[in-house]
Amino acid sequence: MSAAVIFPPDQAPTTARNPSLATIAWRALTRKSGRIIGVLILLFFISMAIFGPMLYPKQLPINGANLYAPPSWAHPLGTDFEGTGVLAEIVTGSRYVLSAAALAALFTIAVGTFMGIVSGYFLGLTDNIIMRITDFILTIPGFPLLIVLSTIWSFGSPIAMGVVLGLTGWGGLARAVRSQTLSLRERGFIEAARGLGLSNGHIIGREILPNIAPYIAMNLLLSVTGAIYAEVGLFFLGVIPFQANNWGVMLNLAFGNGAMYTPQSLLYMISPMACIMLVTFGIVLTLDALDEILNPRLREG
Amino acid sequence: MKSLIPRLIRRLFGGIIMILAVASFTFFLIHLIPGNPALSKLTSLEMSGVQPRQAELEVSAIYGFLPHQPLYIQYLQYIWQLLHLNLGKSIMYAGISVSHLLLLALPWTVFTVTAGIIVSFVVGILAGVLIAVYRDRWFGNGITLFSTFLHGIPQLIMALLLAYLLTTIWPIFPYGSPYKASMTPGFTLPFIGSLIFHAILPVAAYAISSYGGWALTMKSSVVSVLGDDFILASELRGLKPRIRIGYIARNAILPLFTTLTLSIGFMFGGSVFIEQIFDYRGLGYMLITATTNLDYPLMAGAFLIITTAVIVANILADFLYTAIDPRIRVQ
Amino acid sequence: MGSVAVEPAQASALDRDVACRVRGLTVTYKVDNRELSALRDVDLDIRQGQITAVIGESGSGKSTLALALMNAVSKPGRIAAGKVTYRDLGEVTAMDSERLRRARGRSLSMVFQASQNSLNPLTRVGAQLLDLARSHDMRDPRAVLREAAALAERMSLDADRVLTSYQHQLSGGMRQRVGIIFGLVLKPQVLLLDEPTTALDVLSQSSVLEIVRSIQRERQLTTVLITHDMGVVAELADRVVVLYAGRVVEEAPTTELIRHPRHPYTRALIQAIPRLTGDPSLARPLEGQPPSLAAIPTTGCVFRGRCPHRMEVCETSTPGISQVSDTDHRYACHWEGAAND
Repeated sequence: MSAAVIFPPDQAPTTARNPSLATIAWRALTRKSGRIIGVLILLFFISMAIFGPMLYPKQLPINGANLYAPPSWAHPLGTDFEGTGVLAEIVTGSRYVLSAAALAALFTIAVGTFMGIVSGYFLGLTDNIIMRITDFILTIPGFPLLIVLSTIWSFGSPIAMGVVLGLTGWGGLARAVRSQTLSLRERGFIEAARGLGLSNGHIIGREILPNIAPYIAMNLLLSVTGAIYAEVGLFFLGVIPFQANNWGVMLNLAFGNGAMYTPQSLLYMISPMACIMLVTFGIVLTLDALDEILNPRLREG
Repeated sequence: MKSLIPRLIRRLFGGIIMILAVASFTFFLIHLIPGNPALSKLTSLEMSGVQPRQAELEVSAIYGFLPHQPLYIQYLQYIWQLLHLNLGKSIMYAGISVSHLLLLALPWTVFTVTAGIIVSFVVGILAGVLIAVYRDRWFGNGITLFSTFLHGIPQLIMALLLAYLLTTIWPIFPYGSPYKASMTPGFTLPFIGSLIFHAILPVAAYAISSYGGWALTMKSSVVSVLGDDFILASELRGLKPRIRIGYIARNAILPLFTTLTLSIGFMFGGSVFIEQIFDYRGLGYMLITATTNLDYPLMAGAFLIITTAVIVANILADFLYTAIDPRIRVQ
Repeated sequence: MGSVAVEPAQASALDRDVACRVRGLTVTYKVDNRELSALRDVDLDIRQGQITAVIGESGSGKSTLALALMNAVSKPGRIAAGKVTYRDLGEVTAMDSERLRRARGRSLSMVFQASQNSLNPLTRVGAQLLDLARSHDMRDPRAVLREAAALAERMSLDADRVLTSYQHQLSGGMRQRVGIIFGLVLKPQVLLLDEPTTALDVLSQSSVLEIVRSIQRERQLTTVLITHDMGVVAELADRVVVLYAGRVVEEAPTTELIRHPRHPYTRALIQAIPRLTGDPSLARPLEGQPPSLAAIPTTGCVFRGRCPHRMEVCETSTPGISQVSDTDHRYACHWEGAAND
């Protein structure tokens, strides 16, 4: 049984038959030049994270005679307080940052979607309990919570980091997914499916999930930006022991080693921040395109 | 006004439950810390020859409970101490009570966060109105773009950028302390002036990283209010522009209060970065320093106070909202 | 009874019995870079001290007419041509915004369609009445409140309660009455009622209309009643203007119009009312839909798409105004049958 049995075709926001998704995606991307740039930025950083670290030795060399050097062929972004190339640090650090952020986004989405759908679908006591927990999670400021959690859980590895960020960051999404589920309920979707004798699992998995999938996809990307800020922030604060280099560690070391006080460290200070902002920028621009691809109403306009 | 008091009581009650939940969380957190710091402290005291009774007193003074007793007794002891506003004793600032340390830290955070919220709220509302008024022109689009961009920059980066660019690259503002080191604190004009001057960057870091959210919400709110029937009616009734602007402003600002709650938590959360970067000895600074120095009582206390501050601020925001919107106040 | 073609009256100094003269009024809306006319070349005389009804289906341009009478057409619409001149105020279409503001709500007041939503939800009704009084520099704002209370009592509202209430504490019908109070409280010279009773049930509808009628008689208030309801027109109006697709197709004193409708559209409207024709089975609703703004023909008769008497000439030439001799009954139709009862 397909979703189309219950939802009239024009209401089911799952992939449209004509024209093909690729065509729609291409049209949406090329409508505004910024969107292409956004996707290119993301592709650039993703390939940097995948292939970049292969270009450098595992232990980046230090050079006491070449501190805070200006840009050169060997070090296009100059060097840091130990004489290590800033570009090398950026490239080798990107893998941790992006993989942890991607994992965190996945966990956030999984927990948030589950909680939201269950809450909005079953209502009653279940809803009440989940919403209370959600309120609680949303009220407690995120960074302080992560900081105290760092004392009992070492989240140095990308997976551990992703799990923690996922477990603490799902509140907003759960609330939003719940209201989406409720609106499906109000439009009579759930009653209609129940009337056909479908099981709860089927209704949630086959009817509700596909209908809120576009929304979740958008949030997946959005969560990546939040996760990047969170992990970089935690490393900056130095509450997590770090094994490998990453952008947050760079900022921590820069701050801790007095780079703040010298104008010579400009590139060293700015580079990791610029990367974080560039990734965010790329995500926002891509989201704009994704919004149009996934939201049929925008496409017409 | 009838439903105001029950609402107040309900909110306060909810707040107390929340604070209690956070306190329970910190209690169990300390027990989950690898190596059970309270128990090992007790053991090490006894090993070093301190009288068992004396050692117990000391550990109990630090952590608020006695680690070798049954868990529920420890929990009750801990909560009982909390009810007496006793958060234990700091380890790194040996012998000083946590509540004393946090009482000293609280004003710094409240001062900068409150200033940050007010500045971002006011700037955000003004920017939102400008965007709404000039929404189809380059001026409005420009502000929108600018606000969206700044909105995307996290507090950490904003604070680092401001600090680095405006104190080191272009040394316009002072850096590294909340007031000029040579000054004696007191209610003197130069001291207060110095405080404000030093606070500009941290407050700006709070404000810039969150005004964009207000601006965008305000814009859509103004646009929607401008389309409301009663605004057309007020024009057709020939109300004076001043009165009409008042009608629009009050109705448009209202929806912002629902986002204020999230923003308050966000601001207090950001204090860990901004106080670290600008060297403000506030709650966020205490939390970080305590965590990195394994001063668990201070860490737990700081976390509890930050959360409590957020909860109290949320209740205040809720009352502000109730005061403006008669639909909640009067049934 | 024969008909003669007449020239449209000159926009000269207004006669004593004309409170408002509309000449050549054209209102356009800009949609997708096209200027679409919601009103086209409307000529109208609103009689002093009478109730003039403007009747039309939704989309006929009647609400636009109401706004244009106050020079309050807002973007993307604009008054593209024509004049609206009041005997006591002068030409509103030529006023600057401050003079316009002083006129609106004071001399020209309007009770508009969504009147149940016409209040600021955040302040009490009384405070909003004071805002109104202050906006028009009333010497004694308290007197305005007393007047409002008196009007409220006449409309069988509890005045004290209503004045101290917020909008959300009042029912839809109460709000609509409050809207009417706002329209009457400053004793305007001209009152525009745009579908003033849509939110009311039939009973309170007739009682509110009765009150409006009695106040109108007392004050000899020049009133324009915009409606789609021929029943309301028959009960209340002295004169009727029939609007179709942005054009005036017929205009006559109410009894004359109902007894001797000329234009096929008016005939259809009157036939659609069961209680006027007596036998319910004879009541025939008008077939088809009024044209959308973009589909209004620019040449020829605007009604021809639904007209049972449509001729070739209707396609090409816009019908001129014919006047039934010895009456002030005018209509715009090519069909010879229109000239006969």
